[in-house]
Amino acid sequence: MERLSFDDQIQKNKIKSFVLIIVIFTFFVVFGYVISMILDPSYFFIVMIFSIIFSLTYVLVGYYNSDKISLASVRAKPASQTEHRAFYHAAESMSIASGLPMPRLYIMESEEINAFASGRDPKNAVICITTGALKKLGKQELEGVIAHEMSHIANYDIRFMTVTTVLIGMVSIIAEMFLRSLWFSNGSNDRDGRVQIFLILLGIVFAILAPIAAQLVSLSISRKREYLADATGVKFTRYPAGLASALKKIKNEHVSDRERRHRVSKAMAPLFISDPFKRKISGLFATHPPLDERIKRLERM
Amino acid sequence: MIWLWIVGIALVVLVLAFILYYNRFVTLENRIGNSLSQIDVQLKKRADLVPNLISSVKGYAKHEKGIMEDVTNARKAFMGAKTLEQKVVKGAELQHALKSILAIAENYPQLRANENFLQLQQELAAIEDKVAYARQHYNDSILSYNNLTKRFPGVLFASVYGKAPKKYLEIPKEERAVPKVSF
Repeated sequence: MERLSFDDQIQKNKIKSFVLIIVIFTFFVVFGYVISMILDPSYFFIVMIFSIIFSLTYVLVGYYNSDKISLASVRAKPASQTEHRAFYHAAESMSIASGLPMPRLYIMESEEINAFASGRDPKNAVICITTGALKKLGKQELEGVIAHEMSHIANYDIRFMTVTTVLIGMVSIIAEMFLRSLWFSNGSNDRDGRVQIFLILLGIVFAILAPIAAQLVSLSISRKREYLADATGVKFTRYPAGLASALKKIKNEHVSDRERRHRVSKAMAPLFISDPFKRKISGLFATHPPLDERIKRLERM
Repeated sequence: MIWLWIVGIALVVLVLAFILYYNRFVTLENRIGNSLSQIDVQLKKRADLVPNLISSVKGYAKHEKGIMEDVTNARKAFMGAKTLEQKVVKGAELQHALKSILAIAENYPQLRANENFLQLQQELAAIEDKVAYARQHYNDSILSYNNLTKRFPGVLFASVYGKAPKKYLEIPKEERAVPKVSF
């Protein structure tokens, strides 16, 4: 099998996620245009602006406080330099290898092996790891996991996913405005009745499917960013076997269901290294690529 | 009239390109400088641990004076190094001497159990990792810079600004050798 280069992987995934964002944006513009054609062409700009403002405000608040919000939601505690020396050592090494400032380090109580990174830019970054991970992972594996999290910070993934969320929000808002306005609007009166109905039906179909389609694209982006973080992590450690081994341990974990369901909000799922809900859903609706595929790619690097 | 617009826009784009490429060169060069000083920081940290290491070994391994002297001298030589090449070479010699001291601990079980010594051992291992990562980052920074100076159109701006590709950090041969441990 041909060997994968992490540089190529990084490049490919960056391009793919960029293309997907363009897709969502184009979709958003086209969708807004179609809707405003149905309602009233002069509504076009109002529709656009309204949805942008709403979505942006909602998301920006979350974005600026992303580190605080995510830490609070899992009740994380600051890591201690004496007690969690291995954690600090791995993070310091990765900080040197990446050229990024040291993120703030936190611990969350959980038997499961998992970790997440948050923060709008490298200066305000945090990495949180579970106590289970510190117990169960060896030095190289821990370093691989931390490298993956540093990669999310280095690639500005939080910012990236926020942009994506804003775009999806805008699509959903337009869809909702359209569906609500059908109750009130007269529509353009200078059109043939049958064309009118056809357009309305088209609009409804769009309005229902659009948010779903946008969500699917966003999930696809999320998966690409996960692959990107894996590859960038390899760039930092130059040792793909470390992360691969950690992922294998995660795969073979048997954590009790009760333990698993506690404390993590659904919105945080994309930030973790592996889906904290261990949902059986894979493919289009997953935030993370399947573990097997990630391990395979790492072993080819 | 349209001609004027086209030329105008082309000029603006050109000026922007000059500015952007200049800034990019500066950013990448600064990153190289920063990563270089990172290597320095880690190497110095390692050298600073030596006196502590010597004093904890001295109590248990009095006959190993030769090796302890080697380490002290290697440290002095390292502290005296000025240029990058000198630091790399002297750092490698210090590293070699340190490995020998840690290896002799195999013969002194009391030393191995000494908490201070254990902690120093761990710290030295941690610093080794960081030296390696600092070197890696230095070479990565040089790669980014070289890519910019050699690829098109960066290569044009590079010759305008007099930016030449830089050399990678080489590991001196002694450091690649593994010390022999005799029992």
